[in-house]
Amino acid sequence: MDIKKIYDKIQVLKSTAEELNRMGESFPALARNSVRILASIKMLEINISDLVELDA
Amino acid sequence: MSDQIYWNPVLETLSRDQIRKLQLKKFKNIFQWTYDRSKFHRRLYDDAGVKPEDIRSFEDVAKIPTVEKSMMRDIQGKEPFPYGDALCVPLEEVTVFRQTSGTTGQPVYQPDTWQDWEWWMESWAYILWAQGYRPRDRVFIPFGYNIFVAFWAGHYAAEKIGCEVIPGGVLDTKARILKIQELQATAMMGTPTYILGMAETARMKMDIDPSRLSIGKITCAGECGASIPATKKRLEDAWGAKVFDHAGATEIGAWSFECRDQPGGMHVNEALFLVEIADVETGEIIEAPGKRGKMIITALDRQAQPCVRFDSKDVIEWAAEPCSCGRTSRLIKGGVVGRADDITKVKGVLLAPSAIEEVVRGVDGLGDEYEVIVDKVGDIDQIKLKVEVLPEAQDQCQLIEDELADQLRLKTNLRYDLEICGCNTLPRYEVKAKRFKDLRKKNQ
Repeated sequence: MDIKKIYDKIQVLKSTAEELNRMGESFPALARNSVRILASIKMLEINISDLVELDA
Repeated sequence: MSDQIYWNPVLETLSRDQIRKLQLKKFKNIFQWTYDRSKFHRRLYDDAGVKPEDIRSFEDVAKIPTVEKSMMRDIQGKEPFPYGDALCVPLEEVTVFRQTSGTTGQPVYQPDTWQDWEWWMESWAYILWAQGYRPRDRVFIPFGYNIFVAFWAGHYAAEKIGCEVIPGGVLDTKARILKIQELQATAMMGTPTYILGMAETARMKMDIDPSRLSIGKITCAGECGASIPATKKRLEDAWGAKVFDHAGATEIGAWSFECRDQPGGMHVNEALFLVEIADVETGEIIEAPGKRGKMIITALDRQAQPCVRFDSKDVIEWAAEPCSCGRTSRLIKGGVVGRADDITKVKGVLLAPSAIEEVVRGVDGLGDEYEVIVDKVGDIDQIKLKVEVLPEAQDQCQLIEDELADQLRLKTNLRYDLEICGCNTLPRYEVKAKRFKDLRKKNQ
């Protein structure tokens, strides 16, 4: 299992979701759904990224 | 994927060194978060002279003041309403409200953001996966879906795993049993008291043998019962199912669970929580196995109303051996064995109510219900135990009473005033039972 590769993919996902969230200022469906996506991404960080960053 | 025994094959098998390193880093993060955003916590830490930059080791962590439930009660009902100044996010980011059950006093409000709620589900996903829940399961949840967190997060975690979930919300007990039968549910969640009560209702009022239904595993929470061997056996015999314990709390999260190997204890989810055990008298942190103390716990990722060094009053002890399942997280031996609040001296002897339950549920011929009443007559403590004898054992009442008295004396070092009650005369409980009544304080 390539944890570093998974970590990199999570980073890309996060920056995309954050960008979508910023674009949703006057678009509630975009803003609120991207908040939920970001919460799920946080769970990926808890499960994987926090450990990778510990070893970095 | 279903063959994978770990929800997270990386975190659940980390070396002890790595787990501790991760915990310390995450503790520093949540402490900084809390210090920066919660006026309540900042006052507490400033008064103790502790700053985030002081935290470099677990010895430093142990010097941080603990938070008790009574402190949370005091700050609530104020601005930002109704949570008060422990709230660490803008009010508009709070999406979930729950409150504690009020078993030990005025309920405490618990705000969560959507991320916190995802985290609740995640912590439950670890539990359910470890207990063998898989996408093919059909999970029945006989729970009132109310203001208490109870099995809400269990419901959504089961969905997250991919199970099919049947919410048994407003149905009564008989309707729930019929629905389990109709849909052939394979798993369920409930308090030990309610799950035993369901089995009794099925047998006595519906002529249904619950062990012949399709339930194969049951996750219990809310009470110590599923970690008390005699109660676990009764539950497993009644339902013909594996019964697993889990511990959690509204203000903490779902922090501990029994795995499929049932090692006689529960895993602490150390990737998400830091559990410390403190000596009840001295407050010293206990690292060695075999010595009981009260749990001080930190939820390492909970943000809206953080749980940092929360004095839960749960009495636990570390197990000496790791689990055969391969998880490297520490085990607490025998689960949560009681609450520091409940352990009391009777006639000069320390008594944990769970010890009485272990005896009652271990005597054949006795029903599942019991009630303990401690009172004072003059200067002398009196302890009364009410039990029910099953209909099929009525002709053996004296033998059962003698065995009960012997076992109680042996296991708790106390003599009891025993009262054999008629079948179905003691109170039945739907959620958490209140079987231990100490009238001494009330009568003082």
